[in-house]
Amino acid sequence: MGNCLKRSSSDDISLLRGSDGNSEVQTDPPPPYPEPVGPVYYPSPNISRSVNQLTEEEQIKIAKRMGLIQHLPTGTYDGCKKNRECVICMVEFIVGDNVRYLPCMHIYHVHCIDDWLMRSFTCPSCMEPVDAALLTSYETS
Amino acid sequence: MVSLPRRIIKETQRLLQEPVPGISAVPDDSNARYFHVIVTGPDDSPFEGGLFKLELFLPEDYPMSAPKVRFVTKIYHPNIDRLGRICLDILKDKWSPALQIRTVLLSIQALLSAPNPDDPLANDVAELWKVDEAEAIRNAKEWTRRYAMEN
Repeated sequence: MGNCLKRSSSDDISLLRGSDGNSEVQTDPPPPYPEPVGPVYYPSPNISRSVNQLTEEEQIKIAKRMGLIQHLPTGTYDGCKKNRECVICMVEFIVGDNVRYLPCMHIYHVHCIDDWLMRSFTCPSCMEPVDAALLTSYETS
Repeated sequence: MVSLPRRIIKETQRLLQEPVPGISAVPDDSNARYFHVIVTGPDDSPFEGGLFKLELFLPEDYPMSAPKVRFVTKIYHPNIDRLGRICLDILKDKWSPALQIRTVLLSIQALLSAPNPDDPLANDVAELWKVDEAEAIRNAKEWTRRYAMEN
């Protein structure tokens, strides 16, 4: 918990319909520069930036993370009864699905977990950091 | 219109088929990502007997990012401000895609049972909660009676 006070101003007040009546008419002219294009990255879970808006530090962070993800083992789902459903997409695993194994032995569809790991290097199920040991060995090698 | 992810369809079905006690969440007729929520005030809390309306919205990249949730009914609580915004870690930096609409709403219900004035969002409420808890609880009960018991 914590930090809510500091960040509360960035919250959306009205989630869909302007129930508190401050829905402003958008009259701003179009931005003078073309909208940023290219893939969007998440240096932190709540921060999204297009590739050309990343700071150098964020680029390094993301590049490192991409490298680390590739170090996590993948395989195909073997029908193991312990993990029946990918908790991210809530779709049952089918034998032959591409899955990724985290160090805590939780498994997910590769495309589901990779999307999450690019935002936060934690296991969605147990919130364990995805192997700090892996991180240090990678950084020092 | 972009088709709805399987996960949202599944969660919605489960919410309607096996509702959580004390919580109802119904998708809007015109937007399946927007839910009308009612949480009953937990027993033995100052909110007991109240029916609290909330709105919940699943953003485009849900479940990679947390649902957006806000109280529509006014509530006197140290972690909920006058605009209904909620200070709850799982809605911010502790979000995980393993959490669901169901678990989010259960956490909000639990927050009503256990206000945390040391991590305030509504400063004046939290202050009173710390210096004169009895008075704060009286206020919370009064607000519950006034705003959350329409019938």
